[in-house]
Amino acid sequence: MLQYTLKKLLAGLPLILGVTFISFVLMVYFGPDKTYELAGKNPTEEQIAQIRADLGYDQPFFKRYTNYVIELATLNFGHSDSTGERVTRLLGRTIPISLALTLPGFVLGNVIGILLALLAAYYRSTWIDKSIMTFAVVGMSVSFLIIIIGFQVMFSSAYGLNMFPVRGWSMDTLGEYLYYVTVPTLAIVFVSLGYNTRFYRAVIVEELGKDHIRTARAYGASARSILLKRVLKNSMIPIITRIMFSIPLVVISGSLLIESYFGIPGVGKVTYDAITTGDQPVLKAVVGATAVLFVVVLIVTDVLYRLFDPRVELK
Amino acid sequence: MRNHAVTYLATLLVALGLVACGKGTDQPATGSDGSALKVYRHSMDGAPTNLDPVHSATIYANFLVLNTYDTLYSYKYLTRPYALKPNLAAAMPEVSQDGLTYTIRIKPGVRFVDDSAFANGQGRELVASDVAYSLKRHFDPSNRSQGSWLWAGRIKGLDAWGENGADYSQDVEGLEVIDKHTLAIHLTKPYPQLTYTLAVGFSAVVPHEAVTKYGRELSIRPVGSGPFRMAKFDTAKAVLEANPHFRQEPIDLAAEGFDPAVHGGLGLEAIEGRSPPFIDRLEIDFILETAARWNSFTKGNEIQFTSVPVEQTDTVLDSRDPIELKPDWTERYHSTTGVEAGFVFTSLNMDKPYLGHNDDPQQDARNRELRCAMRDAMDWTARNNRFYSGIGVVFPGIVPPAASDLHSKLSQDSVSRNLERARARLKKAGWTQDNLPTLEYGFQNSVTSRQLFEQFRGFMADIGYPSSKIKPVSFATFGDYNKAIKTSQLDVIPMGWGLDYPDSENTLQLFYGPNHTPGSNNSNYSNPAFDALFEKTAVMQPGPEREELYLDMSQMVVDDCVTISGLSRNRIYLWHKDVIGLPDREILGGFWLRYVDIKSADDQTTPAS
Repeated sequence: MLQYTLKKLLAGLPLILGVTFISFVLMVYFGPDKTYELAGKNPTEEQIAQIRADLGYDQPFFKRYTNYVIELATLNFGHSDSTGERVTRLLGRTIPISLALTLPGFVLGNVIGILLALLAAYYRSTWIDKSIMTFAVVGMSVSFLIIIIGFQVMFSSAYGLNMFPVRGWSMDTLGEYLYYVTVPTLAIVFVSLGYNTRFYRAVIVEELGKDHIRTARAYGASARSILLKRVLKNSMIPIITRIMFSIPLVVISGSLLIESYFGIPGVGKVTYDAITTGDQPVLKAVVGATAVLFVVVLIVTDVLYRLFDPRVELK
Repeated sequence: MRNHAVTYLATLLVALGLVACGKGTDQPATGSDGSALKVYRHSMDGAPTNLDPVHSATIYANFLVLNTYDTLYSYKYLTRPYALKPNLAAAMPEVSQDGLTYTIRIKPGVRFVDDSAFANGQGRELVASDVAYSLKRHFDPSNRSQGSWLWAGRIKGLDAWGENGADYSQDVEGLEVIDKHTLAIHLTKPYPQLTYTLAVGFSAVVPHEAVTKYGRELSIRPVGSGPFRMAKFDTAKAVLEANPHFRQEPIDLAAEGFDPAVHGGLGLEAIEGRSPPFIDRLEIDFILETAARWNSFTKGNEIQFTSVPVEQTDTVLDSRDPIELKPDWTERYHSTTGVEAGFVFTSLNMDKPYLGHNDDPQQDARNRELRCAMRDAMDWTARNNRFYSGIGVVFPGIVPPAASDLHSKLSQDSVSRNLERARARLKKAGWTQDNLPTLEYGFQNSVTSRQLFEQFRGFMADIGYPSSKIKPVSFATFGDYNKAIKTSQLDVIPMGWGLDYPDSENTLQLFYGPNHTPGSNNSNYSNPAFDALFEKTAVMQPGPEREELYLDMSQMVVDDCVTISGLSRNRIYLWHKDVIGLPDREILGGFWLRYVDIKSADDQTTPAS
């Protein structure tokens, strides 16, 4: 497995270079120009030239890209052009917050989604299936923004239950963490359930129609045994794929809307600000980290495939 | 077995719920000795990114910079129009007869906050050389200062010092440190606004030790001598704690401009004779989303201050003119309104030969008629009602009411819609739907900006300007929009300007020829007569003579139809009844937060006498 992992890591290098190259082209040629945001109200031509030089805009493209690759290899992205904070420190500070914010919703959204999908698939075409699917479609159809505002009003504001905070974040104690994470988690779960349930139901329905399930039923296996031991286990490949490929987004992107509306200082807001202002040091780090994470996820996914399906070989 | 699992799960969920809800009660913050802390939670509709004074270009950054650092001067808390007062300086500057030397004495014994940047971690005394050092930093090219324009070409030797390598060990002729507590600023020419510039965040005093230690990260780690010290700062919030070493300066309310008729009922009498800061902790939430800000404010135990979002105006207001709140809101909250120290206006690019200056006198005259017709088509009342809750202040000219009452001496003609005259102008100058130029109207992409554009295009359509000839050019970021402006690409430029100080010069310079783009003269207006008057007034002390010349300059801009101006936005502020203070986000800005106090629980239950 070690040999396989190393081979995969090496094979991932072109992917990382490709992703970073394309992203860098987009940043340089289509991204915002930071110069005039830093120039202030009344700049001179000389000051503008100085800022461009400081930002490296006056250097040839390939020199800039080479510098980027070196930064990626040394994990030294310098300072944010907006805040002046060292990029590695900035991400080190904000990624754990986003992770703590989105992880409960991510886990619950997938676990509950799988359970509901199992239920809907098992009782296919009955009122249970129809109710769950209606709920899923509602979750998918309503804008995330509306859900956030609605949940804030419902759980956090003086017009609703007023039990949780509208804004803020703390992980100092478990109580504080639960106090601040509950409503964002509910919003994330509500939205993700729609997509997850529909997807997982389709996978499970297909599995339920297979011969070995019919045989198990004929032998009198219980519903629980059929669903958990046979159907779920055999559906794990697409489920793992979906979950694993969501992880980089959960870790790096956070959730911009959730962070903005609930005043949570995570990496989602940092990334969004970097994109909209052209803060290239931050963007370069985020793009690089995402690419590396995807390669790692690819490897872990393959290993998990092997664990759940012995027919899969790691070559 | 299954029943056990369900029981465990249910118990766990109930426990988590109880923990969460238990924390949810409104528990007062306490200090290390268990005593209740006084905490004030402010909110702002934007977030600062960089707190290094050389970058404190926004209102949001200034709110934090002015509270963590010190400036030589500040503004009297309650006096309007705004009036300067000494802050770090011991007195107002002694100005030489020729207006070229400002001698400033600094209060002795002022200390920077304790920080690991200093030897032994203890803040040292702030001295005159720190002020000189902080001004020098603006001219060090490596700092990319956004505020150097305030002093560029004004202080002897300072520009040259920067151009020659910014060696901090070298003295600058214009920044003479006379002794530990005295600084003399020598100017190249009189600069009556100098004292104002020493009250803005750009002029905040920074210790060189902090710059050495934190480098670029000084932007997130302020080390100053202000009333507060930074405890936490991120994209969502700043938490400041009272600076225990802040100098003792008891408040003299009368000297600050307290007027019982105006300020009575706010509880300000409680701070008389006491030294700020009065609170233990200042928390500032950066909330761009109006719905979240409103929910947080009305919730009762979160932010204690907000401006009223436009969409909530009808909920809160009983009357727009005069502005009056509904009784239940008055009962629940304190309120005030504030006309901004700035204005919104739409400039027309004079660089464009089909719209602005033209070497052919005949075409030049036609262009002027076109610009004036566009201005006549503007419906300020509709704009005010649609976008500013109908409570903005429309004024003629280019000097907003917060700077001067010059506008009252100008005709209302330039802000009155006159479609007939507009059409007549176009006809007289030979403009037809076919030969009218196609204009590019720029804006930073947002729903509101797009709506403003569509309304503007609608106004122009009313005088026969084809809609297809006014094209929107949207930009994803302010930086890109600013680039298009500073490289003179756009024809029609909607802008907002916030005054750096309450002097008309600060807006008149927006039309001074040598300030053309990339400078602040975004309309690229060039009028030798205007420029001559600007240069003349730039060295004049305030007085009726200067006001008269300012009026002439304003009239020139109006007569040349360079810009469609203007409107000062009016904001309604609400704050909780337990907060003692009078908010101001304009010229006084962040200075007011040092005067905030919170009533104790006992005070709140005591009926008003």
